[in-house]
Amino acid sequence: MISRRNALKTGAGLAAAATVGAPSILHAETATLKITTWGGKWGDIMKASVLPAFEKEHKCTVSADQAFPFLPKLQASRKNDPLYDVFHTNSNEQWSALTEGLVMDKFTTREVPNIADVYPYAVSDKIVGVTIFTSAIGLGYRTDKGLTPPKSWKDLADPKLAGQRGGYLIPVNSLGQCHLMMLGKIYGKGLQDLDAAYKALEQLKPIKLVDFTGQMEKMLLSAEVSEGVIHDSGVYRYEGDNRQPVDFCSPTEGVMALEQVLNVPPGSKLKELAYAYIDYMLRPDMQKLLAEAVWYSPANKKVKLAEKYDAKLLTTPERVATLIQPDWKWYNARKDDIDARVTKILKG
Amino acid sequence: MSAAPNKVPFDPGRAAYVTLNVVLLGFLLAPIAIVLVFAFNPTPYISFPPVGVSLRWFDKFFAGSDFMNALWLSLWIAACVLVLAVVIGGACALALARGNLPARGFFTAFFMSPLMLPAILTGLALFQSYLLVGIGRPVWGLIMAHTLIAVPYVLRTTLAVLHNFDRRIEEAAAVLGASPLRVFFEVTLPLIRPGVFAGGVFAFIVSFDQFPVSLFLVVPKGETLPVVLFNYMKFDLDGAIAAASMVSILLALAVVLVLERLIGLKAYVKL
Amino acid sequence: MDRNIVLRHDAEPMAAASRPSPIAWLIAPALLLFVLFFVLPFGVMAVMSVFSGNPVNNPNAFLTARHYMRFIADDAGIFHDALWATLRIGLVTTVVSLLIGYPLAHWMARMQSRAGHVLVLMAVIAPLLTGIVVRTFAWMTILQDKGVINTTLMSWGLIHKPLPLMYNEFGTTVALVHIYVPFMVLTLTGVIGRIDERLEQAARSLGAGRLRAFVEVTLPLSLPGVLAGSLLVFALSISAYVTPSLMGGTDVLTLPMLIAQQVGTSFNPNFAGALGMILLLVCLAIVIAYNKILARLSGEQGLA
Repeated sequence: MISRRNALKTGAGLAAAATVGAPSILHAETATLKITTWGGKWGDIMKASVLPAFEKEHKCTVSADQAFPFLPKLQASRKNDPLYDVFHTNSNEQWSALTEGLVMDKFTTREVPNIADVYPYAVSDKIVGVTIFTSAIGLGYRTDKGLTPPKSWKDLADPKLAGQRGGYLIPVNSLGQCHLMMLGKIYGKGLQDLDAAYKALEQLKPIKLVDFTGQMEKMLLSAEVSEGVIHDSGVYRYEGDNRQPVDFCSPTEGVMALEQVLNVPPGSKLKELAYAYIDYMLRPDMQKLLAEAVWYSPANKKVKLAEKYDAKLLTTPERVATLIQPDWKWYNARKDDIDARVTKILKG
Repeated sequence: MSAAPNKVPFDPGRAAYVTLNVVLLGFLLAPIAIVLVFAFNPTPYISFPPVGVSLRWFDKFFAGSDFMNALWLSLWIAACVLVLAVVIGGACALALARGNLPARGFFTAFFMSPLMLPAILTGLALFQSYLLVGIGRPVWGLIMAHTLIAVPYVLRTTLAVLHNFDRRIEEAAAVLGASPLRVFFEVTLPLIRPGVFAGGVFAFIVSFDQFPVSLFLVVPKGETLPVVLFNYMKFDLDGAIAAASMVSILLALAVVLVLERLIGLKAYVKL
Repeated sequence: MDRNIVLRHDAEPMAAASRPSPIAWLIAPALLLFVLFFVLPFGVMAVMSVFSGNPVNNPNAFLTARHYMRFIADDAGIFHDALWATLRIGLVTTVVSLLIGYPLAHWMARMQSRAGHVLVLMAVIAPLLTGIVVRTFAWMTILQDKGVINTTLMSWGLIHKPLPLMYNEFGTTVALVHIYVPFMVLTLTGVIGRIDERLEQAARSLGAGRLRAFVEVTLPLSLPGVLAGSLLVFALSISAYVTPSLMGGTDVLTLPMLIAQQVGTSFNPNFAGALGMILLLVCLAIVIAYNKILARLSGEQGLA
């Protein structure tokens, strides 16, 4: 039978559910800012300190959705009553959302003052909304298998790595999509040279493809994969007591950018609060806190990270210059064709 | 009625039969052994042979309020789904088997159809509809979604048992003067109990382990355990999910044990 | 339980000819549940599948058959293969689950000791409780190139390079069978348990071997369970997507995987809806045909 205690416990869930249905009533007392955010260690810090401090500063409550996928949920809600006030995703999803008119295009320093301090990549023409952190996509590799540490993206094609190299299922993972574009750049005329990319992909067979980055981490840690495409944070986080025989290489051709982007749906009824939240996330203290928790490179150039983070992350203009930002608008428009093509190439 | 053939000193046929079944059980349990190793292994990935024994992942699991809240919510929802699905599915099975309904073939296929759709689509369809109707995402909406997925199991298992049982027993009881209600409670219900029990176990498990349907229907701070674990795993694929798995197994087995005690499967299987 | 013949069977045809009995009303709660939480939502999905965008937030969305045409034309050459792979994997999974599940169910149903019965029951249910993702990761640990099986075989010198156990249909099927065998077992146990053991014993006392007694008595009587269990497992395995996407690597692409991709990463719920409708229709056709054939084979109506 249902105990009263358990019923009470789910009461919190019910209350949160009620706010989705009838937001306007609750706004009279305290506004509830509905955001999306990451889980894992990032989510822990958000819930332990970042969000409570914001709630206190702005006398509001924040309801943080950590359950992927976010965009289909936003798509299903009405434009004048969106499910979220702040939309936090990777860059490719922001572009998809923009084409459907589900998010805004750009912010100005009037709305989000801290934008004045971000690196140019965070607000470049490849970004919708504003980037708050970025990771570098490069190559992760085992240090105990007698491999020559990779220097170039081309090293992944080394015949010795047959069956031991790792990549992503391109239709479902943006790192896989970045890698495909990178193949076009290093073997062809540029990021958009798909024919060269397809040909290069064919050469990478046999390759182990995974669904998401955490899975690639495990493949590297358990030596199922000796060298694979991964973001820097996925390797750097194994440090100190947790040290593992893996390392990260930023290839000489440059690293691909994996941006964390914030945006606001145009129909949000709490736009001012949403802007305040974005500004808050770009504040140097929050940037430092989160960057050091999960090894993400902060977008705010005024942030000074502790030495060990500063040494590895993209915290100088020179290092930031190695970031390559894909044109997601271009890619998304062709995604279905690309998906079908790579599926055929890799099958069998 | 003890089995006479067991008295034979050595029976190769019997030995082969038992061996085969033990091997098959081994197949079912092998991955759980791996999860066990993962849960107690101190490294943040599965390593073979295991390098040691540690409770750090269990600590992490029990210390995480997200995990614990989700665990209770999942158990609570699964319990509601169990009751609802058994009542609705059991009644529906009786109606189909005993109600002389027209188009029974159609109805049985119809009631099976939620199982044939990828559950992610069911979740999305319900989510879209809830938003259209404007009810948001209440917990009861999630419970009904799980019940929808659970009813086909109860229906299937109960129908299978109903089909096999001799209708004349019911008729005999009626002829002997029992009221329809009494026939139902004293004859029909005990006879279909194994099917209902199996269906109830499915309903509980299907809800407790439900991920794709819940995906779109949970709200922040009201997430079920599979959703929390899935999102956790996207960032930290460590032993905590294995620890969660072990805890879930033990808890859910306890529930099944209680069910078995309450409904008493064995007694009715043997008769 | 004594099944002495009390009534003759000639009451049956009369009952069949009569109108629905009051018991038929018991279908009402299930109908209500399904209309509200299945027919209407999927009506919404069906509507979505013939629109170019989401009519809820896109006033420019227009009626179109292009999602269905896209599947039918299959210019990319992957959709038909995916449907075929889905059905193939579903069929193989069902057959293997039956082969594994039947002996276990029989063992359980015929077990004398209550404790033994509970233990086996728990062992059979336990795999269902590990959680879909954790369970799949456990299989990866067993089957991958550096996994338990390949490492062991290589250290014994039996093989020199890893057997292709994962990243293909084989691995996908193994993992699916593992999850769905319990469904088969529990469905079958209830049915086999209801078959009077003495029937088999009687057959044996008349000189039939143990196997023959089983084949001629128990097996035919357990057919409803076989049918129910197979349908459950088939329905479940053709709609699975987490397991194939984690275990199948580059080799496996099923319709549910495509649907999940369309929803979660291509953000095209309209096309996903169309694919879902197609999958549902194909499966319903198969299930109805299967029911018909089995009913004819067993000479009975309404096995389903």
